[in-house]
Order: sequence, then structure tokens, then C-alpha cells
Amino acid sequence: MKKGAWFGGVALLLVVPYFLQTTSFAFVIRLFGIAGLYMLLALGLNLVIGFVGLLDLGFMAFYAIGAYTAAILAIHHVPFVLCVLAAILASTAIRVIIGFPALRLRGDYLAIVTLGFGEVVRLILSNWDGLTNGPKGLPRVGETIPPASLFGFTFSTNLHYYYLILVCVLGAIWICERLNHSRVGRAWVAIREDEIAAELMGVEVTKQKVVAFALSAVFAGLAGAIFAHWEGFVTPESFTFWESVLLVCAVVLGGMGSITGVILGALCIVMAPEILRSALGSSFANARYLLFGLSLILMAIYRPQGIWPSRRRTLELRPLEPEDAPQETLYDAEQK
Amino acid sequence: MGFLEALSISKVFGGVAALDHVDLSIKEGEILGLIGPNGAGKTTFFNVLTGLYKPDKGEILFCDQRIDGLAPHEISSLGIARTFQNIRLFTHMTAMENVMVGRHCRTQSEFFRTIFITPSFRAQEQAIQKSARELLHDVGLLDRGNALAKNLPYGEQRRLEIARALALEPKLLLLDEPTAGMNPSESEDLMRLIERIQKRGISILLIEHQMRVVMNLCHRVIVLDYGAKIADATPAEVQKNPAVIEAYLGTSAHA
Amino acid sequence: MILQQLVNGLTLGSLYALIALGYTMVYGVLLMINFAHSEIFMAGAFVSLMSYKKLSTFLPPTEAFVAGILISFLFCAALAVVIERVAYRPLRRAARLAPLISAIGVSIFLQNAVFLWISDQSIAYPQAFEVKHFQFLGAQMNTLQLLILGVSLTLMLVLQFFVNKTRLGTAIRATAQDATTASLMGIPVNGIIAITFFIGGALGGVAGALNGMYYGSIKYNMGFVPGIKAFTAAVLGGIGNIPGAMCGGLILGVLESMVAGFIPNGSDWKDVVAFSVLLLILLFRPEGLFGRRVPDKV
Repeated sequence: MKKGAWFGGVALLLVVPYFLQTTSFAFVIRLFGIAGLYMLLALGLNLVIGFVGLLDLGFMAFYAIGAYTAAILAIHHVPFVLCVLAAILASTAIRVIIGFPALRLRGDYLAIVTLGFGEVVRLILSNWDGLTNGPKGLPRVGETIPPASLFGFTFSTNLHYYYLILVCVLGAIWICERLNHSRVGRAWVAIREDEIAAELMGVEVTKQKVVAFALSAVFAGLAGAIFAHWEGFVTPESFTFWESVLLVCAVVLGGMGSITGVILGALCIVMAPEILRSALGSSFANARYLLFGLSLILMAIYRPQGIWPSRRRTLELRPLEPEDAPQETLYDAEQK
Repeated sequence: MGFLEALSISKVFGGVAALDHVDLSIKEGEILGLIGPNGAGKTTFFNVLTGLYKPDKGEILFCDQRIDGLAPHEISSLGIARTFQNIRLFTHMTAMENVMVGRHCRTQSEFFRTIFITPSFRAQEQAIQKSARELLHDVGLLDRGNALAKNLPYGEQRRLEIARALALEPKLLLLDEPTAGMNPSESEDLMRLIERIQKRGISILLIEHQMRVVMNLCHRVIVLDYGAKIADATPAEVQKNPAVIEAYLGTSAHA
Repeated sequence: MILQQLVNGLTLGSLYALIALGYTMVYGVLLMINFAHSEIFMAGAFVSLMSYKKLSTFLPPTEAFVAGILISFLFCAALAVVIERVAYRPLRRAARLAPLISAIGVSIFLQNAVFLWISDQSIAYPQAFEVKHFQFLGAQMNTLQLLILGVSLTLMLVLQFFVNKTRLGTAIRATAQDATTASLMGIPVNGIIAITFFIGGALGGVAGALNGMYYGSIKYNMGFVPGIKAFTAAVLGGIGNIPGAMCGGLILGVLESMVAGFIPNGSDWKDVVAFSVLLLILLFRPEGLFGRRVPDKV
């Protein structure tokens, strides 16, 4: 996307919500904040599904680990920044531990392992009452999760959290873009295209998969920590398999590997129910899953590249300088 | 001692001996041909050599270092690169990007330098692009650099695969039927290309079915049949070897 | 007490086995995991219930129930065939992830179709006949368990016979081994695949009906957890291996019942057991108990 459009868009995102605060559209701020969290998650998942090409059906587990870690620490008066770091650390460490054995499996098996692990995490969160208060969630009666605070500033309104999330999303987009146009990004896409050929061309496939896996968990842990502080409340029911599926939808429908596409996908996932609700009445809002299911099938068959497909990069191909051109090329193009 | 020494390599798949105590050695600077009827074990040997399979018996030494049992990417970075019988390019990446991936093991990434686009990151990216451009120029594909690999015609895809393999700066290049599907004129061009690669100091192990290519290009030829080595001599000698003639069709020297 | 849990476990396990057969057969011929299979199981429960309700207005309850099961057998078989034709066949040659994504789409669609158009709540599944309880060697058992065991084992034996002793069964095994060669031998591969889905769907549907009867209630999302567990069973036995899936189902059912019976708070943690078994097998022995590690040809 052109730089001008980018800056314009970001400027709008910065300025408009500020003015919406006191209007009847103030709920949009919260909606965009939630969309932002989903974008963070979708960007993380895009590294795994979009770039490397692995199907991950249990990503929500790491959002949950991040959220619960932050919640538990915050209840014990740990400062926000440390909660975030701990959440990221917990999420990433567990992701890597599961990742090493799991990433040696072929595609469909990996999908089931991630699904199974996601369920195990949810079940543990639901049943380990001592740590997590089970289905009732945290905080327990009489405790609170204090709001986030950074350098003395306390995040207390939706707008505050919206700006925090916006900064994180922009940072995530930047990181993903940089990686895309680098040695690591090319290695990931090569793995997606042909894992064996990539390995034979010198790419350390398992290591690169683990790196993608780990980085996605960093995004998830961060999003989880912010969620815990914003919402002030975490239960296992926020982190079900269907949420993982929705994220997969966001990435696939948006366009696997395409950063813009994935952002749009996340936006659709969050906005669609609201649009459906206001347009069709609340009973039809439940049809969103039905439509998503149908769109997954149709997209897989008719437009596997997604709404906003990723495009490979056009590089500059200026002719070689005389000193760089070899005396004799391997192939005599002139003869043709 | 030797450049590449494969000693008594055996590989069994579900009861079938794909390779049966095969000894193979390559001298530095040599073009060695590996021929044999279909199913003789040639590609299996490549796969064992490059680390995709572990040999059930035997060992492989490359520049006096044992490489059997190493991971494929480790073997690649030690200096062995290959192409494939059925071209395995990264189809949805451009020609440039395919070659740039080949530079992976000759370069390194550092996360923060990548994120913050430091000068050293920029310099390395430019170096990678420059190498890729040079290699594409070398195989006559520079003007096709931004084309997606899947959109290239067959002959160009073969050359691209070779360029990608050369990006690894190999000491030994394994070519698996590079002239498959080519007419005589294209095969000639490819033969010249292979000769020039060898003149640059890269040793070559070549699986080929076209006898003309083998006879004209190879210094030495090894023949496999049912996984076992049945001949190891110059092309002229191999052509007259009765065991080879029996294993093959016999009069296929006019390919 | 052990015998008690064993009986419970075998009953549960035979349901898992019936569902697992659907997964394993489809994986055998198409090398894909049919994520939507759990919804076919769910559909079986709903279809049998709805048929039973309609039919019991003019048929005696037992006959209505049996007819209901037969209808779900056929309906789910047909449903599976339709799903294959519409959502999977166009993607036979597509990239790896595409059929998986399509399967997830079907699964979501079916679940939410039931959610929207039938009910988002649990529905009671009435007892169609009187269930007699009795004691056997100290264990409590009832005729419903015997029925489930009987039906499942019969179906599994019939399937084993069919796959190993009939021409059609041989055709299926051939297609599973090498579809290209099978088609060169004159085997209509598309038809064989359809038949495989037919059989898997039918068994899953019957399992759904029996499951509904056993637990007394059904819900739109009842397929998810049994589906994962049945897949675990299929993998445990060696994915693609039909007797393996049967054994895997029984083993998993017994394991789960033992955990529920003997570990404190076991019933909360029994699902974790199933998933943990799944993870451990996939991570450390993906070929399962009876499969063989076959290296991929490069």
C-alpha cells in the first residue's frame, strides 16, 4: 500500500476516536480496540499459517496463557510492564516446548496436535481451581485486576486502551513487514512452498519453524496481557476452540501471508456480527458462524489466495556492472 | 585423503534393497556420471548423500569429514548442492527470490538488525540481491528475475534450479537428470553450461539417461543396477562392459 | 469395581471405535482428516431422534427407534457422500491446507445449521424401550450397554468381512494403497472414495444415535469432543488401519473410564487424558500401535 495512504489511515485512526468519545458512537472505540487485539493475534497466526504454511488450530491457548499469567500477577500487585513481560515469556516458552516435537509432524497431524493442546490448556484452566478459579474465572471475589499503568499514567478508559493497542498493532505490522522482506521471511515462504527443497537449499527448517512459532506466541502473550488488564476479568470460556477457528478464518479469508489481508480479515471477523446485528436484528447475528463456515468452503475452492492476496516482491534488476560480470557466463543467452 | 568417499552404502526400504553396498568416490574437479536403469537407486543415492535418508550401512566422507547422519541443511552448508529429477522450485516465489533463498546458508540473520533496518542489515540484503542478480545473469535469466518461478518455461526452470543450487557456493553439485525432457539442441546448451561450471572448479555428480551427454561430458561413469554398483570406469570402457549392456537395453549408446 | 469400569469403558470405547472407523477409512484413501466427520456423528443423533419422534406416532417405540437408527444410518451415509462431492473433491489436487480448511468450513456450517434451525439447547433423547439393569460378577450393567456393544461389534465384524473378503472391499484397500495404480486396474476411484465416505458416514451416524440414547441428550456441539477422541483412537491404532481403529477406540474408552473411576475428580480430568494420549502418540509414535513407519519417497 502506498505510503501516503498508510499515513493518512494511521492519522485517521489516531484522531477520529478521540472525537468519538462523547458521541453516541463511543462504542466504536471499544469495538476497534477489540478488533485491534484480534489483529495482533491474526498477525501472529499469519506468521505460522501464512508464511510458513502450518495449520495451527489452537492458537487461542497462548492468548489464554498470556491473559491468565498477567491476571494472576496483576492480582498480586505486580506492575503492568512486568505482567506483560511475564505473559510473553510464559506464552513463548510453552509454545517452544510444544513446538520442538510438534513441528516435525506433517500438516494434518500438526493441526490435530495444536487443536489438542488448545483443548488441554482450556481444560486445565477450567479445572485447576486452585490456580485459576476454574470456570468462574479471575479475579476471585474480593480481588481485582488493577488497570494497566505505564510511567505513572493509568489506562482507565476504552480510549486509553485503544491507543495502547493501536501502538502495539502498528509495531506488529512493522515487525512482520520487516521480516517478510528479509532472509527469514524468504526462508519461511520457501518452507511453505517446498519444505524438503528448502532444507536441501540450506534452510534449517525446524529451527525456522520454531522461530515463527515462538514469535507468534509473543504477539499472543502481549495481546493476552492487555486483554486481562482492559477487561479486568478472564474466564476459560473466552478462549475456546471456536475462537481459534475464527482466527484461522481471519487469516485464510484475508489472504494467507498477506499482512494487509490479515488485518482486513480480523476486522471482518469483529465487525461482521455488529453489522449483521444492526442490519438484520440480533437473531441473525448468530448466522455469522454459518456464513463463515460457508465462506471457508467457498474460499478454499474458488479463491484460495484470500481477499487481499500477498504479492511477491518485485526487485530491482539493473544489469551488472562490468566488473561484476564474469568473463564467460555459464549460458550464452545471445545465441538464442 | 579424498574429496567425496561413499563407502559401502546400503539402504533398505521395506525389504527392498534400494542400495546394496555401493562404493563411490569423486575426485576434486571431476565430472562423474551415475547411470543405470530406472529404479537402480540413483536418486536414492542422491538422497542418502544429501542427508534426506540415513544409510542403513556404510559411511560418507566429504573432504575427510563424515556427513552421513547429518541433517540436510548441514550437508548443504558444507558445500553439496543439488537439483531434482522433477524440478522443485519455490513456485510462488520469483526467480530472484528462489536464488536468494539459496544464499541462506551463506548468510546470517539477526532479529533486531532486521527489525530496525540497520546499515549492516541493508548491506547484507544488498549483497544477497547482488549475488542473485549475478547468478541469474550467469544462467541467462536476469531479465526474468521478477517472474514467478511457476510461469517460467521448462528450460528456464531447469536453469533457475541450477542457479539456485550454485547460490550455495557448493564444492560439489549433484544434478539429477538435468536434460530430461529437452531436445538435442537444448541438451547441447545444458552440456556446455555444465562444462563451464566444472571449469570454475566445482565437481559434479551427474545422473543422466541421455548417453550422448554422459559420453561427452563425464570423465568417469559409475553404473548401478538393482542398487548395486556393476561398473566404475571411463565412459568408453563402460559402453563396452557386458554387464552394463545386459543391465541396460544394450544398444542405447545413440541416445 | 474394575469390572464395572471395564464394562463402561468398552461401551464408550465401542462408540469411539465406530466413529474412528470413519476417520481412518477416509484417511486411508485420501490422506486427509475429515474434520466434518464429528458433525456427521451429531447429525446421526439428531436425525434418529427426529425420525423416532415422527415414527412413534404410529409405530410402537422399539420399532420406531430401530427405524430411526436405520434412517440415520442412511441419512448420514448420504450426507458424507454429499460433503465429499461438494467440499473435498474439487480440492483433490489443491495445496495441502485447502481440503483441511474446507473440512473445517463444513464442520462449522453443520454445527451452526443445527444451532440456528433446530435448537441451541440440549434436547432430551427419550428411552425407546425399557432398560433392564442387572448385576454380573459384581458389576452393574444394563441392557442398553449390551445393545451398544452388540450393535457396534456386529457392525465392526461386518466391516472387517466386507473389507477383507469382498471385491469391493479389496478395491477400497487397493485405492488406499495406491489410487493411481488402482485406477489403471480399472477401479473407479471416485466411486470407491464415495463408498468409503458412505460407510464411514453410516457408522458415524449410528454411533450418534446410540450415543444420544446412552447419554439421554443431544446438542448441536456434541460432536466436537467425541470427534477428537475418536480421531485419537484412530491414530492410536495406526491411522488408515481398520482393525487398529477398532482396538484404539476400545482402549481409549477403557482408559477414560478407568481414569474417571479411580482418580479423584477423575471425571473432570478424563477429557484431558484423551487429549494427552493424543498428544503423546502424535509426538512420539505417530504411526500408532499397529502402524508401520513408512518413509516418504522423495
